Amino acid sequence: MNPYWAGFGLGLVLLASFVIMGRGLGASGAFTTAVATTVHAVAPGHAEGNAFYAEYLGDGTTNPLKDWLVFEVLGVFVGGFLSGALANRLQITIEKGPRISNPRRLLFAAFGGALMGIGAKLALGCTSGQALTGGALLNVGSWAFMLCVFGGAYGLAWFLRRAWL
Amino acid sequence: MNAPFFKYGMFGDEMSLVVAFAIGIGFGFFLERAGFGKARLLAAQFYFRDLRVLKVMFTAIITAMVGSFLLARFGLLDLSLVYLTPTFLVPQIVGGLILGFGFIIGGYCPGTSCVSAATGRVDGMVYLAGMIGGLVGFAEFYPRIAHLVKLTPLGQVTLAEQFNIPYGLLVFAVVLMALGAFVAAEWAEGRFGGKTPDADSLLAPARRFTPVRKFAAVLAVLGLVAAFAGSPYRTALARVDTRQLALDAGTKADHVMPAELADWLVEGRNDFLVVDVREPAEFAAYHIPGALNVPLAALTPDFARRNERIIFYSDGGIHAAQAWFLIRALGFPSVYMLFGGLEEWKDTVLFPAAPLADASAKDRIDFARRSAVAKYFGGTPRTGTDATPVAPAATLPKLALPPPTAAPAGPNSVPAPKKKKKEGC
Repeated sequence: MNPYWAGFGLGLVLLASFVIMGRGLGASGAFTTAVATTVHAVAPGHAEGNAFYAEYLGDGTTNPLKDWLVFEVLGVFVGGFLSGALANRLQITIEKGPRISNPRRLLFAAFGGALMGIGAKLALGCTSGQALTGGALLNVGSWAFMLCVFGGAYGLAWFLRRAWL
Repeated sequence: MNAPFFKYGMFGDEMSLVVAFAIGIGFGFFLERAGFGKARLLAAQFYFRDLRVLKVMFTAIITAMVGSFLLARFGLLDLSLVYLTPTFLVPQIVGGLILGFGFIIGGYCPGTSCVSAATGRVDGMVYLAGMIGGLVGFAEFYPRIAHLVKLTPLGQVTLAEQFNIPYGLLVFAVVLMALGAFVAAEWAEGRFGGKTPDADSLLAPARRFTPVRKFAAVLAVLGLVAAFAGSPYRTALARVDTRQLALDAGTKADHVMPAELADWLVEGRNDFLVVDVREPAEFAAYHIPGALNVPLAALTPDFARRNERIIFYSDGGIHAAQAWFLIRALGFPSVYMLFGGLEEWKDTVLFPAAPLADASAKDRIDFARRSAVAKYFGGTPRTGTDATPVAPAATLPKLALPPPTAAPAGPNSVPAPKKKKKEGC
């Protein structure tokens, strides 16, 4: 799809979220809730003693997985799958540049993911919750964050050209 | 229209999860349509080969920004109720850089990796596993870095407030900046990516008014409208639907009986805000436990959250009724006043009168219950057949409760409704 139309669609979804819910989109928060819930199931004392997990576990009156972002991200998986299926783009494959081996690409993916997890928690959000949502709301922190995401990625891009080009 | 719908109580928590799922489907669908399930397309952004990350992101941002501004400006959306993630400048700068590194190394961001995994990309699935590892690592280290995460707090603040620029003007500036960036991006794609502008690009060779150009023009015009439209927030200048107000007053939908309020307080309900509109000195002498003191003159449009249920009271009820009218006129939907004010509160809650000698059993049981409530609030039931007049103010119960709350200065000092979990990403 033409990126402008895809962006317009995305913008309308975001606007609908503002109007219906009074909040924007997110992604990383759902995984944090899932992680906190899992740790709590394995080691309850450990999770409750950690201020970070505790914040995502709620007050214990409801299941922490009955969370807005968790359901939203489940929708993202379904929406992505539907769109891919309709356009015949479902394929078990590895997305990578021509000059990088599969194991190396997967190692990079895991490492990049780990950095993303850390960065998103430090910044109180990821590209969805901060850049997209906060960007549209002219949030000060979100714009500072967004510039730094682009800055960080452009800054490191030259060193990683063998991975992508 | 009172939007955000959820915050005005149009549906509950369970329904909000259905909405979440539906919105998520839309989000995932357009991310996939944008091509964001493929790491290589995303990474191409950072080599100026294909700048679709910039195009999609900023088209989405300006669409939602212009849309929310105009809806708010024309009274259809209360922008102050849309959650704004608080700013902590240094952690967000550092977090942004780390996230940027993660983006170019891993090829995805959290949202796009979900779409990538959902369409079968193994690297997307591995990326998600790595992210979960990163989250666990962050959580385990959190106790040691907790103080760093809260550095340089600026609160929930927009660029318009921070730099004192009219919101609408900033909207227009961001639209122009984005449209300019799109043209520059298309030029760069031609220069570094060897792409020739096609019919779907702004730089298409034909001089035709293509759909994409029309879309850009509409955004620019709406941005220009925003620049001159004034503030998107609701102001003290109110438009009053006198018929609706009269209806509410006539159908008694406007007040709460003292006995009802007393029961709610005894039950410990906290889904409403009791506001004392008398002067601070009177408030200090006695007030209903848990009440906030906001004198009439301090009733500005931002004295409380708009979706809050508010109960006003004064001595007799006249000032409370005036407050009720002012605040209803400012568009707060759930506003009530305490019937009879503090006088009635004393008569029926603090010092309830015993029933007459020939009263029914039901009345006697009722009195026993009301006596217990009176004692709860530090009052004394009036016994004897001919009820003595209400005790003067000197015998009002001393407040054994926390010291009186001062009048709030702005929306931030209003006690936040108990939030179970984080609202942000």
